[in-house]
Amino acid sequence: MTTTITPGPPEAVAARATLVPLAARETRRFVLNPVFLFAVAMAEWITWTGGGGATTEIDEVNGYPAVFLGGFGMMVAYWLTRSMRASEPVAGVTPVTRPARTAALCTVAIVPFCCGVLTLFGFLRSYPVGDAVYGAFSPPARIAVLVGQIVVPSLGGPLLGVALGRWVRFPGAAFVLFLVIFGWVELVTILTLWHQDSLPAAVLRLFSPFAFFTVQADSDGAVMAWRGSPWFFIGWQLALCAIAVLVALLRGAEGPVRTRTIRALAITGAVAVILLVLAATGGFTYAVAT
Amino acid sequence: MVTASISLRDVGRTFGATRALAGVDLDLGPGVTGLLGPNGAGKTTLLRLLATALPPSQGKVRVLGLDPEVPAERTGIRRRLGYQPQEAGFPRGFTAFAFVDYIALLKEQSQPAARHAEVRRVLDLTGLSDLGAKRIRAMSGGQRRRVSLAQALLGSPPVLILDEPTTGVDPEQRVTLRTVLAELARTSIVVLSTHQTEDVAALCERVIVLDRGRVRYDGPVTDLTGQAAGRVWLADAPDPAASISWRTGTGRYRNVGTRARDGAEHAEPSLEDAYLLLLRGGSPEPETTQEVTS
Repeated sequence: MTTTITPGPPEAVAARATLVPLAARETRRFVLNPVFLFAVAMAEWITWTGGGGATTEIDEVNGYPAVFLGGFGMMVAYWLTRSMRASEPVAGVTPVTRPARTAALCTVAIVPFCCGVLTLFGFLRSYPVGDAVYGAFSPPARIAVLVGQIVVPSLGGPLLGVALGRWVRFPGAAFVLFLVIFGWVELVTILTLWHQDSLPAAVLRLFSPFAFFTVQADSDGAVMAWRGSPWFFIGWQLALCAIAVLVALLRGAEGPVRTRTIRALAITGAVAVILLVLAATGGFTYAVAT
Repeated sequence: MVTASISLRDVGRTFGATRALAGVDLDLGPGVTGLLGPNGAGKTTLLRLLATALPPSQGKVRVLGLDPEVPAERTGIRRRLGYQPQEAGFPRGFTAFAFVDYIALLKEQSQPAARHAEVRRVLDLTGLSDLGAKRIRAMSGGQRRRVSLAQALLGSPPVLILDEPTTGVDPEQRVTLRTVLAELARTSIVVLSTHQTEDVAALCERVIVLDRGRVRYDGPVTDLTGQAAGRVWLADAPDPAASISWRTGTGRYRNVGTRARDGAEHAEPSLEDAYLLLLRGGSPEPETTQEVTS
């Protein structure tokens, strides 16, 4: 028996046709995860109700959306990525390559990102941008601070979870990473409290997917705005998001795709370093109390 | 124009210092080919090579004329491939329908209505039409095996690679699955590995026996069975002249060896007899006799 066999339609065309339904499938699994539903409920309750108490500076509450949407989102995305690992002998010999499946998984981050945007509006409703709780930052910079503390972590957390799920086998890796990031943020925040005008301290504080920009200066309600540019910090965070996606896509990539991914990773890494330096050296060059 | 076939030329595969396959030359065409061999013979490694799950350490593999080592051609193979691995894991919380539907999506069946119809078809073929909504974790081992087979049957692929498809499946379902595979094999290349010689005898025109990574036999099932003609006999006790003996349900011993005693009561050889004889080396003067229970 002879038949005409061709390699089939170009990989990119078929991959595009499958990517949308596959992404929709993964997104549905992500949204229906009870941990994510709990995280969204908590984030929205805290921000739309203003946390239920008087707040004199925003950093008492704006860490919560990052924890719930970013941190919990990271863990859910990690579980989602790992969930198909047992079926890899079957899924691994389908025409949809692992990078394509990874790309579909990465699209689930749109959901927590949208929740992050919603949370931002809730936050601005509870704490209008003209309030004194934002410290010395200009109104646009105040928005930038909130975007960097609420919206971008909501996007980046799940992306980090996918990257972790693609490369790490340890089941509790996402939770461990969450604790590490949480501990690091606490550590560098304490360090900044001691050295508020120090550039190295600012670099360390911003060398993180989440950073505080203000702190309550004294018991009278004065707010201290720390040095650093919230605009460049958003750039640094987005570069971290891109790195997470590229690292995730690298798993299973081969040939020209692998080469291109590694090249993009190198470029993004260089851009991230530049943005981190700009974030630390831009904005206020010393702590400003209001 | 290329021949719809699979060819392996001097194919070998090693895992560290362990040689799983060595010098395998095969040509496979439409029909059912059975793969027999003891544990560790290299059956699963060979099937994984054919399924593009593993590259060979040496030699060349061609599936439908395509080279699995070239990424674009590997994708071409995978579009025409159904593969049931020896141990398929299932994601937590998935129902049979959801899992097979997910794999159908990965097989680029992106139109929901057509995909769902295809999923229902393969679940029906494997006797799971009533269990589609049941969580896989709650299923028996045989039912899970059938879910694994169902996903391999998606799209009636031209190449179907099955690693122990009937393990844990009840006799009635095994007969049904044989019918399904026989029908598919009219146009497709079906390669199945199994320890059930009766499945091979009932289903396959051709059998390949692997032993320690090498092909020990490759030919028609009837020819292999025929090699045991006159070498199987019954006795009231294990015969020291036999390569292997076992007690049957009647209480008598079935002896398989290269030379029966004069006057022995000969029995009709089965594929299992021939397979055992082949693996025992078939030497005229066997050095040891081993008794096993049936």
